[in-house]
Amino acid sequence: MTSTELNTLVAFGYMATAVVYLVAYIVGGAKSRFLIIAAVLFITIWGLHTGAIAFRWIESYQLGIGHAPLSNLYESLVFFAWAMALALLVVRFRFGADIIVVFGLPLVFLVMASTFLVDGNIKPLIPALQSNWLVAHVITCFLGYAGFTSSFVAAVILLLAKGSQSAATYLPRMDILDDIVYRSVLVGFPLLTLGIVTGAAWADYAWGTYWSWDPKETWSLITWLVYAAFLHARVTRGWSGGRTAVLSVVGFMAVLFTYFGVNYLPGLHSYF
Amino acid sequence: MNLPKSVESGSTKKKSLIDSIGSFFTSVRTAIALLFLLAAVSIIGTVIPQDSALDQIRQSAGSFSYRLVAILDLHKVYRSWWFVLLLVLLSLNLVGCLIRRLRVIPQEWAGGSEKNSFSFGLSVSRPLKEVCDTVVLVINRILRISPQISEKGDRITIVWSKHRIYLLGFPLIHIAIIIILLGAVIGLAYGFKGTIQIKEGTSGNRFTLIPSGQVASLSFDIALEGFTLVRYPTGEPKEFRSDVRILKNATEEAKGAIRVNQPLTFEGISLYQSDYRLLGIKEVKLGVSDHGETTDLVLQPHSTVMVPGTEYTIGLISLDPGATKRGAGVEISVEKSGEQPRTIKLFRKDSAPVTLGSIEIRFLDYQPLYATGLQIGYDPGAQVVWVGCALLILGLFISLFTNLRRIHIDITGEAGRTEIGISGRSRKMRREFRETVEMKVRQALQDN
Repeated sequence: MTSTELNTLVAFGYMATAVVYLVAYIVGGAKSRFLIIAAVLFITIWGLHTGAIAFRWIESYQLGIGHAPLSNLYESLVFFAWAMALALLVVRFRFGADIIVVFGLPLVFLVMASTFLVDGNIKPLIPALQSNWLVAHVITCFLGYAGFTSSFVAAVILLLAKGSQSAATYLPRMDILDDIVYRSVLVGFPLLTLGIVTGAAWADYAWGTYWSWDPKETWSLITWLVYAAFLHARVTRGWSGGRTAVLSVVGFMAVLFTYFGVNYLPGLHSYF
Repeated sequence: MNLPKSVESGSTKKKSLIDSIGSFFTSVRTAIALLFLLAAVSIIGTVIPQDSALDQIRQSAGSFSYRLVAILDLHKVYRSWWFVLLLVLLSLNLVGCLIRRLRVIPQEWAGGSEKNSFSFGLSVSRPLKEVCDTVVLVINRILRISPQISEKGDRITIVWSKHRIYLLGFPLIHIAIIIILLGAVIGLAYGFKGTIQIKEGTSGNRFTLIPSGQVASLSFDIALEGFTLVRYPTGEPKEFRSDVRILKNATEEAKGAIRVNQPLTFEGISLYQSDYRLLGIKEVKLGVSDHGETTDLVLQPHSTVMVPGTEYTIGLISLDPGATKRGAGVEISVEKSGEQPRTIKLFRKDSAPVTLGSIEIRFLDYQPLYATGLQIGYDPGAQVVWVGCALLILGLFISLFTNLRRIHIDITGEAGRTEIGISGRSRKMRREFRETVEMKVRQALQDN
């Protein structure tokens, strides 16, 4: 079996887990015992996912073109999904909020499923990508994105609860959701900062310019600025609830544009 | 004394104008607004092609767009006057907030502020010493540090102070940003960037500046000994490498290899492997078989060579790297006194050799002649930027993983009853801290 085939299995595993979570939540509510089964399934699939990534790494060495599985669109999507799942797991166990997983797992599945549309072959690294900075930069950036994703999921749920009284009865308390929205950004922001800094260091080694305002770099800075504004609004101005939730959604839109949108603009970071 | 009202109101108005300018620069609301503004305008530079000549825009876009771009410098957003102004405003705002915050830090460090603290009191019928020991044990377990205990008369005061380093988080982060901006300015003011092409076997020191296009000279020569291009079996480039010697006044000062992601630095100037160009042929290797004996014959451009064992002289005319099934092809000229000069074409993948009289010639291999493209960079501000980045990460780390917490307990005892006054303060997660402290202390002293 190849790592690509394993990843396909993992994708459908996440879909199945999402369905189990949804059914468990609908049937038994927030305290349903089925949710424990769902959590075990989730951890298992995530473990398989981790194995698939490690396996791909080994596979690349077997092919004689050994490199960390973080070098193209396919591999970055797989890693992003992995990091998102990890973030969901952390939030679920730290806050006891299964609802985050109910809403967030479909996103994980979506990202894994989008890999079906992309070439999954292991390819050799061109000289520009042959650098340890690649590993540091990609890992920190995507871990940051994962934090922002879990904040986004909690923000959406919060806004839902705010908008509809009847929905709010099935959803966790506002202050818990608010906490998740804020704390996830607290984790994501330093990681994104590290991601931008390692990216700049890599650029300096490769081209002698740590910052050239190319669309990807600029958009990562835009994302950073939005979340910096979020933190200032929350910590210093006391914003919370609906207002910070909206900021979290805006920030996530910036994340999506930084990851995918920039490929439609001309520049160095294009995957296409 | 009766001052006319208008004068009075005039002087207070003047003070409040300066005050409001001052508060503009120390307000977090300004910071938030500037952050959003910077984010929004940065988008412009990603959707409008940057660094393209104004004339190009005049040709491709309409005249209104052209005028808009020209007036607002939209083709060089990040170097435009208004973008720089935004950055300056943000820096001033940063400095203002920093000064305001830095002023209160010494007092906070020493133990000052009562802001956001909680307090509660207890009265128990236990001896003073026992109560003291109990609370010390309880709080030690919560905070995992030891307190400072002082006695004054019949009152015992116990103070815990944890993670004061948290106070450094905010200043570090914000000073770091100022340092990064400073480093960028230094780089822009004193640094330069350029490109140079050097042919294998030659040296150069004149390069083209980016983005102006002007030509400048380095204080040393770069001699390209050789350029190596290694490919994967699939044909994609695996490695580009330039082996260079650095010469000053014709003496070698340094030598090394420049690879992508592995630049060579000399006298503060760094050379980066950027790209390459195939210029021609360095040499061609032919295999010559004479009655079974095979020897290698090397041909170089612009020279002829005598085939050993014959009277033929051959020379190199051209090489075609060739994408056909027969592979690369080389065209050679053949001359022998008394015969008509002719040309022969040999292909790499041909199985049968070409006969020339009594000898057979095969085309074995060739070495291309490259010119390497190096990027030249000098950025004295870069080190400053890295220091700023390190401080930024450190500051974020401190803000995330430390939390300044203080507990102050006063214990007084009189006639069998002990009075305890507890006040505490936490910079983060205040409610949890207050709840934990109150619950644990009440639990431990529960007998009342």
